[in-house]
Amino acid sequence: MDTIKYILKRILQTIPLLIIVSMISFFIIRLSPVDPLAELKLNPSVSPETVEKERARLGLDKPVIVQYGKWAISFVKGDLGVTSTGEKVSQKLAERIPNTLLLTAIVILLTWLVGVPLGIIAAVRWRSNFDRLLTVMTSIGMAIPSFFFAVLLLMFAVKTGWFPIGGLTSPNFVDMSFGEKFWDITHHLILPVIVLFTISLAGLQRQMRANMLDVLDSDYVKFARAKGLSEWVVIYKHALRNAVNPMITLLGFEFAGLLSGAALTEYVFQYPGLGRLILEAVMKSDINLVMASLMMGAVMLILGNLIADILLIITDPRIRSKA
Amino acid sequence: MTGRVFRILLLLCVIALFCKACIVRDVQPKITSEVKTSASDLALSYSMPKNVTINGIDYLQSQAPVGIFGGTLVSSTIGEGPKTFNPFNCKDNTSAIMSGVMYDGLFTTNPVTGEVAPKLAKGYTISPDGKVYTIYLRQGIRWSDGKPITADDVVFTWQNIIFGGMGDTSTRDSLVINGKLPSVRKYGDNIVVFSTPEPYAPFLRMLSAPIAPKHVFYNAVQKGNAYFDSFLSTNAKPKDFVVSGAFKLKEYVPAQRVVFERNPNYYEINTKNQKLPYLDKLVYLIVGDLNNEVLKFEAKELDVISLQGSKVARYKSLEPHSDFKLYNLGPDTGTMYISMNLNNRKNDKGKFYVNPIKQKWFSDLNFRTAVDYAVDRKSMVLNIANGIGEPLFTSESLNSIYLNKKLKPYDKNLDKAKALLKKSGFRTDKKGRLFDKDGHRVEFDLYTNAGNTEREAIGVMVKQDLEDLGMKVNFKPIEFNSLVNKLVSTFDWDMVIMGLTGSPLEPNGGKNVWLSDGRLHMFNMRTPQEGKIGILPWERELDEMFDKGALATKFEDRKVYYDKYQEIVYTQKPMIYIYSPIRIVAIRNKFKNIYPTSLGGLTHNIEEIYINKPVRY
Amino acid sequence: MIKDILKRLWNDKFARIALIVLGVIYLALFFADFMSPYTKDFSDRSMAYVPPSKVFTIDENGKFSKPYTYNYVREFNPETLQINYSFDRSRKHYIKFFSKGQPYKFLGIVPMKTHLFTTDSEGRIFLLGTDINGRDVFSRLLFGGRISMTIGFLALFVLFPIGLLYGGISGYFGGKVDMIMMRFAEAVMSIPSFYLLIILASILPSGMTSSQRFMLIVIILALIGWAGFARVVRGMVLSIKNEDYVMAAQAIGASKLRIILKHILPQTTSFVIVAMTLSVPSYILSESGLSFLGLGIQQPDASWGNMLKEAQEFTNILYRPWLLTPGFLIFVSVLAFNLIGDTIRDVLDPKSKVR
Repeated sequence: MDTIKYILKRILQTIPLLIIVSMISFFIIRLSPVDPLAELKLNPSVSPETVEKERARLGLDKPVIVQYGKWAISFVKGDLGVTSTGEKVSQKLAERIPNTLLLTAIVILLTWLVGVPLGIIAAVRWRSNFDRLLTVMTSIGMAIPSFFFAVLLLMFAVKTGWFPIGGLTSPNFVDMSFGEKFWDITHHLILPVIVLFTISLAGLQRQMRANMLDVLDSDYVKFARAKGLSEWVVIYKHALRNAVNPMITLLGFEFAGLLSGAALTEYVFQYPGLGRLILEAVMKSDINLVMASLMMGAVMLILGNLIADILLIITDPRIRSKA
Repeated sequence: MTGRVFRILLLLCVIALFCKACIVRDVQPKITSEVKTSASDLALSYSMPKNVTINGIDYLQSQAPVGIFGGTLVSSTIGEGPKTFNPFNCKDNTSAIMSGVMYDGLFTTNPVTGEVAPKLAKGYTISPDGKVYTIYLRQGIRWSDGKPITADDVVFTWQNIIFGGMGDTSTRDSLVINGKLPSVRKYGDNIVVFSTPEPYAPFLRMLSAPIAPKHVFYNAVQKGNAYFDSFLSTNAKPKDFVVSGAFKLKEYVPAQRVVFERNPNYYEINTKNQKLPYLDKLVYLIVGDLNNEVLKFEAKELDVISLQGSKVARYKSLEPHSDFKLYNLGPDTGTMYISMNLNNRKNDKGKFYVNPIKQKWFSDLNFRTAVDYAVDRKSMVLNIANGIGEPLFTSESLNSIYLNKKLKPYDKNLDKAKALLKKSGFRTDKKGRLFDKDGHRVEFDLYTNAGNTEREAIGVMVKQDLEDLGMKVNFKPIEFNSLVNKLVSTFDWDMVIMGLTGSPLEPNGGKNVWLSDGRLHMFNMRTPQEGKIGILPWERELDEMFDKGALATKFEDRKVYYDKYQEIVYTQKPMIYIYSPIRIVAIRNKFKNIYPTSLGGLTHNIEEIYINKPVRY
Repeated sequence: MIKDILKRLWNDKFARIALIVLGVIYLALFFADFMSPYTKDFSDRSMAYVPPSKVFTIDENGKFSKPYTYNYVREFNPETLQINYSFDRSRKHYIKFFSKGQPYKFLGIVPMKTHLFTTDSEGRIFLLGTDINGRDVFSRLLFGGRISMTIGFLALFVLFPIGLLYGGISGYFGGKVDMIMMRFAEAVMSIPSFYLLIILASILPSGMTSSQRFMLIVIILALIGWAGFARVVRGMVLSIKNEDYVMAAQAIGASKLRIILKHILPQTTSFVIVAMTLSVPSYILSESGLSFLGLGIQQPDASWGNMLKEAQEFTNILYRPWLLTPGFLIFVSVLAFNLIGDTIRDVLDPKSKVR
């Protein structure tokens, strides 16, 4: 019961957070001297009347506070507005968000599946050649600029022809069988996943290793060893559980980092995701689209943190008693 | 012990490698043979489809060789993809192309001569006074859903949609002739008559606007502008589309591709009376930038691509051993130019748009001409377009049918430039810095749009060219939207490098740039309230040429006016043109019935293109 | 304490190499004018996109000679549509070391003419070839490096005072002040940092001079990271403020600001040092990411990010892979900073005895 109360309290706390986030974002964007109608104006075949129609529709002739109010009211009603070219924002988001989620979810899954065991092994075989090798590789993984790595991989794809050049699905996707569709998406995802995986693996593996080392050095582990329990049991029954706990809070940050980091990778691989959408929207100062994408990004981030907190509560009795 | 030995060995290896790298031998080269490639000629003779009547139905019959049915052509579009599929709401190029695939207009253009050619309509006559256009429609042709295409559709489209101000009103706005719109009426099911208040030559070409099916669009129009604006947007389901073109929408995957499939009711047939198009599917991949596009072509995901700059050399060298062929389509239809702000008025706060000291320089014809002679066009073509381009000196693109061929090109000539500056009292000091006759240092800002590698590189070169004359140029690439804002709203700029799209067929399309009160008359922009204030004598001449050119109806008469306008621009230099890239297009060899022309590109006859050995998907 | 840190760094093998590498890089950047044969803006437009210059030490007769190079000559072949580069063997250009070349102002003040290596005024020594405008890639690498490698530090100097003060005040005062300040910081943290970065970069007013733009990008980078940092500082302050010496200072009647600045914040030093060293690489990556997208440092200025932007074009990667050097340099610097940061953390972090 307490846990549920805590969860509800946390959820409630996020609402003022979201409001502040939206206000900050809106005012920053409106500070921009960029005129969203600029492209229309420079098109020789678009008449001034059309431009005026757009201006009225976007509400650009009213003061900033009023514009924010208009936006906030429609946001709450679920109407995310229209982009500067007339498409519905909610629809554009619905097209792109699942793709980014797919990418980041796979990367997180892989990172944890690989990173946690590697971190444990590295800690258990502390300072062995294996550990040193891993340290070097993760250092390299953290140091490569994501866009540079992405460009190199893209070249590799072109030269070998083993991978498709960006995108998510092939042109004849619609005519494929289910199995073929599954393989097609996987095939397209391999390279972007490699880029993001390399970078996040490094961070996770090191953190896991550090936590594990801390735990292995702690009293209760020494006690368990003294009791004569096998090394296996010591590691997996006692040490691991405590080492993994702090990692759960990391989940929230993982999610956040991935959302951010994916943007550059999406750009290079032309992946139809949220990051690329925001980039294009920002270039055009398309305020509805940028606001909505930003809010979505913030929501996903806050959700990530929330889930991490909830998981922590469930798994760590110490916090439960405090709350 | 072994560690030591190992380390010494490693050190020795490193030293050896280092020495080897430093010592390089100078060897005289041997002559190697070069790969000879065949020149590609443009299709100077292409047989246009003819009107034939079979069993009372008026078909358009392709005269090209009969092909094999089946297969897919994969092309690309740069950007984020279409914003709408409604041909009347298009404000950007991609949307216009996508919807253009689906909806045919009454007429189209002959890709070789540029003349008006029949499409949905069989033909036309113009009355002797040039004000009445009689359009003959085809009998018995149908929309993709089987309903007949009739004069009702045509009248509905022009009356209710275009003249009714639905969607993008640009077409309507440019047809306001002396404050009145043309009228349109039907005479029976297959004849439509347009009347213009005055003879207006550009009107005929505007009849290539798409025709909408009344039975689909009627309700949308009734519901008003707001509804119409989102009608047939990118949300629309493929089954909602009723089209008259060769293909109709099959699938739209946002940010990835647009897929079209054959329209079974298309009115064009081949010489064996089989219904075209040959291709089953037409796919447009949505590509973010040129770089990604070429990567996709390299990986064989694309069948056709236009190439610029250094990419051309690569594919030219690969061509003999590859599965594609390159075609040279001649110069591009855009124009790229340097312009100076001739505005000498004050804004509503009483401040001059342009610093009066700079105004004096920019309004001096000798100064502008000196800048023109300092620009090194040849190096720009070589460096930036990798040789794939041609210097440009005229306001009409090099492939325009109205090009004034008497205006001759000239080389960079620093001496001439310096002499002109001297004539206007400019002088240089010992350090080579240029001062005007009042002792002010010649310094100004040069803008262009950031993020465009080509423009930025040109800007750097122009800056250096002008610094050869002793001018101080502050080169500032700024974000595109901000730049546009400066040019059309705030007018606070000195010199700019920009590009404009153009039409090789109808110079009137550019009137907004040249008319003294035009919305794109950037080199001397006036607010709507200012009207034609402070008009210069040659601006008045330009106005006259454009007014007369639009009212004349015969090509020979119009050419006289448009030749004169080009001459005025050539001598007065409000815009100094730089170069036109040459379009090179590559397409896979398996596609047949390819007739490349400068005006039509490669896929003007998409319904006639077929694959030699189609592959079933 | 600094001496202790440096000693420990030197002892660790990897950190030592990293220190040396960074030292070499920063030294080269400091002496960029001296080490590069050409000035920042020099370009020879007849030599656009030439390959790296070949330096010969054995001449065509097989005899050892002083190192020399030939200039490249470009020809456009209208049939193959290709530009061919061949040597202009009519003239040898000898490489001169420590000799006079193009004039420059060292540190912006001292006019000098000496370069590490150069050739005569007609000759061209392009160690890494040229870019689209005929500018020497090697020189731009050094000048661009100045921007890419210093922007991180400058951002830190903006970020840390703000973050420290913000976290300090919030943690010390507690209660409502703390809650409001932390809510705001959390809100900023909830915006995905890269998205915030590109939005802020895109609203930069146009037409700024390069130094103005540089400064504004520094500020933007700082704005991204301050919230997370402030949060941690606040957490530390919360626990420190209950220490005895703090209560003692309060009893004496020291002003709140003085307590925060002189007693509490210094306790956070070790954390701050570690955070600083580990943040620099992320700033280097952020700036190059921004410039790569075209939102950061603009032409005609160089930065490793915007050099990569030009380099990533397909034909460039295929035919001019030397343009990709900035990418490797970014990689090396970031790696070095990470290694050093790791070691510093091992030194300063109390939990480090295990590692």
